[in-house]
Amino acid sequence: MGVLSEQRLWVVSGKGGVGKSTVTAALALASARQGHRTLVCEINVQERISAFLERPEVGPEIRQLDPNLFAVNVRPEEAMREYALMIVRFERVYRTVFENRLVKYFLRFIPSLQELVLLGKVLFHLQEKTADGRWKWDRIIMDAPATGHAITFLNVPQVILDTVPPGPMATQAERMRDLLTDPQTTAAILVTLPEEMPVNETVDLYRAMGRQLQIHPRAVVLNMYVGDRFGAGDLEQVPASLRDLVRDHMCREELSAKARARLEAELELPVIAVPRLFDRSIGRRTMETVAGHLSPLWEGSAS
Amino acid sequence: MSAPGLENPLSRALREKTVLVAVGSGGVGKTTVAAALALRSASAEGRRALVCTIDPAKRLANALGLSELGNAEMRIDEALLRHADVPAKAPLFAMMLDMKRTWDELVERSAPPDKREKILNSRFYQALSSRLAGSQEYIAMEKLAQLRARSDYDLVVLDTPPTAHAIDFLDAPNRILDFLDTDAARWLLTPALAAGRVGLRFLSFGSSYAAKTLSKFTGAETLQELAGFMLSISTLNESFRQRARQVGELLAAPSTSFVIVTAPNPERLDEVVHFHTLLRQNQMNVAAVVVNRVHPRPTEAQRADATALPEPLRGRVEATLDELQALAERDADAIAALRRACEPTPFIFVPRFERDVHDLTALWHTARYLTGDLEMTAP
Repeated sequence: MGVLSEQRLWVVSGKGGVGKSTVTAALALASARQGHRTLVCEINVQERISAFLERPEVGPEIRQLDPNLFAVNVRPEEAMREYALMIVRFERVYRTVFENRLVKYFLRFIPSLQELVLLGKVLFHLQEKTADGRWKWDRIIMDAPATGHAITFLNVPQVILDTVPPGPMATQAERMRDLLTDPQTTAAILVTLPEEMPVNETVDLYRAMGRQLQIHPRAVVLNMYVGDRFGAGDLEQVPASLRDLVRDHMCREELSAKARARLEAELELPVIAVPRLFDRSIGRRTMETVAGHLSPLWEGSAS
Repeated sequence: MSAPGLENPLSRALREKTVLVAVGSGGVGKTTVAAALALRSASAEGRRALVCTIDPAKRLANALGLSELGNAEMRIDEALLRHADVPAKAPLFAMMLDMKRTWDELVERSAPPDKREKILNSRFYQALSSRLAGSQEYIAMEKLAQLRARSDYDLVVLDTPPTAHAIDFLDAPNRILDFLDTDAARWLLTPALAAGRVGLRFLSFGSSYAAKTLSKFTGAETLQELAGFMLSISTLNESFRQRARQVGELLAAPSTSFVIVTAPNPERLDEVVHFHTLLRQNQMNVAAVVVNRVHPRPTEAQRADATALPEPLRGRVEATLDELQALAERDADAIAALRRACEPTPFIFVPRFERDVHDLTALWHTARYLTGDLEMTAP
């Protein structure tokens, strides 16, 4: 068994631009193909997963993309509505109170309420059951907000517990925190690039997850990895017109090797390298290739 | 690239404008572009320039000789410029925006003395100043207005927070004005106010149906505390309002231009187009779209030189050229789509360099591409 096995919630985290959505889409495709009924949740962003799988854009309603594969774009307005309806129970009460301009305005100022309802919706789906008592979703894959935002986002239940007096919000927050911190339920996957800044941020995120968030990272994906190609002496042999090209590649090889070594040294996690891909357009085929590289995560050769 | 015979749009902006705002999503090199523009303005145009950055990479701060950029404006040492062979016609300054402190200063300036502490210490204020959509964008613009009002600089280049939603940026002044709309607090508190019990301690929510329902949602204490906060900030009303209006005006002024910065990743296209459309709809002036880190196509000469190499080196080099070709083609597709969507805004391309821009020489090199000294053929 790989490092990702029984956990039903996979949280994919990393700085903007590192390929988080690509990894999310590839993981989702693999999970669905293994027969797990999978739901992908993107959080209040320009939705990308559907395009990667060559499907029409997904909105705030859950939509099926493939056999066993579903996706939803979780946005604050709809999430707030669903959350409020769970509490007030009646559509008419909801409309009278929550759709009031002044109330809407008021709610914007409650610290972390927006994050709470976004995360709340994801965790609601995690606990959904079918009529015969089984989990509605075998697996939920969450494309978490970019680092920095990710720590704030995942820490919301704790922040609310620390600041809001006991009441309905606090009760919700406690249940949410328990789900996120349960290692049997939740696994975080960190995504990064072989460059100095993204690696630094990943090390920070890893530490924050352990100390502050108590969320368990299981693996780090080193995306756009450039493997060894040129040797010592190659640079001297090429003519001037090709020197920058070769130097550039060697520089990336070195950055890749350094990033891997640093991640292996500082994070007690398997490091999965996904090579840089050169497909002209990013689509299903790309996702299948990426999923192939990620397979050690569930096949058990990751160490 | 500009059409033949036309002046490079960024050179022109560097000479004519007093404010340039670099916008775009995170991770595209926006801060580097902002710094390069300010450098070019001071060094080539002889205009005293300041770059106000949000979260510069350490290496950029180091490149400017400022191991730690602070909230205060620092002058770049001329010896450093000379050392990098960069002319120094006018002084160049850099600073890093400390958002929290700028917010605090704004409140300190605007609130009556007896309310300041109360506002600054409220956790709702913390939420407003850090997490409310648009609040970071707003405070960056507020700083810009302050710097501009002092008119110590011929040009201020503003880097902006990575914005997930373009509308958060353009709407920021309005949202902040919204924030001052204390009707909401009044409405919820009307029964208490009517009874003449305006002191916080006596507030009662009991009589409002909406308040009762809301408190089921948030807990009564939270709601009560929030209402108290809203009443206390209503004291900053006038000066705040005036400020937000000025910021809005500054952005729309003819002396201000936006520079949209992007990488050629196809998945970022929608965001750029959306940003561009919104800026134009709001009658903002867009100087150019800068496409950063573009992969150049391999040349015929490179191909020919590669075939002359001995194996296995030839195979390695050819594989690398093929990869570059593939990346250049992907970029070309993205750029073509982007240009169609952003007609008639001019485009400027900066090639991807071997490494991040990490010193003044590299920054100057970037600036030369931005202003047309060096030109990259669109792939």
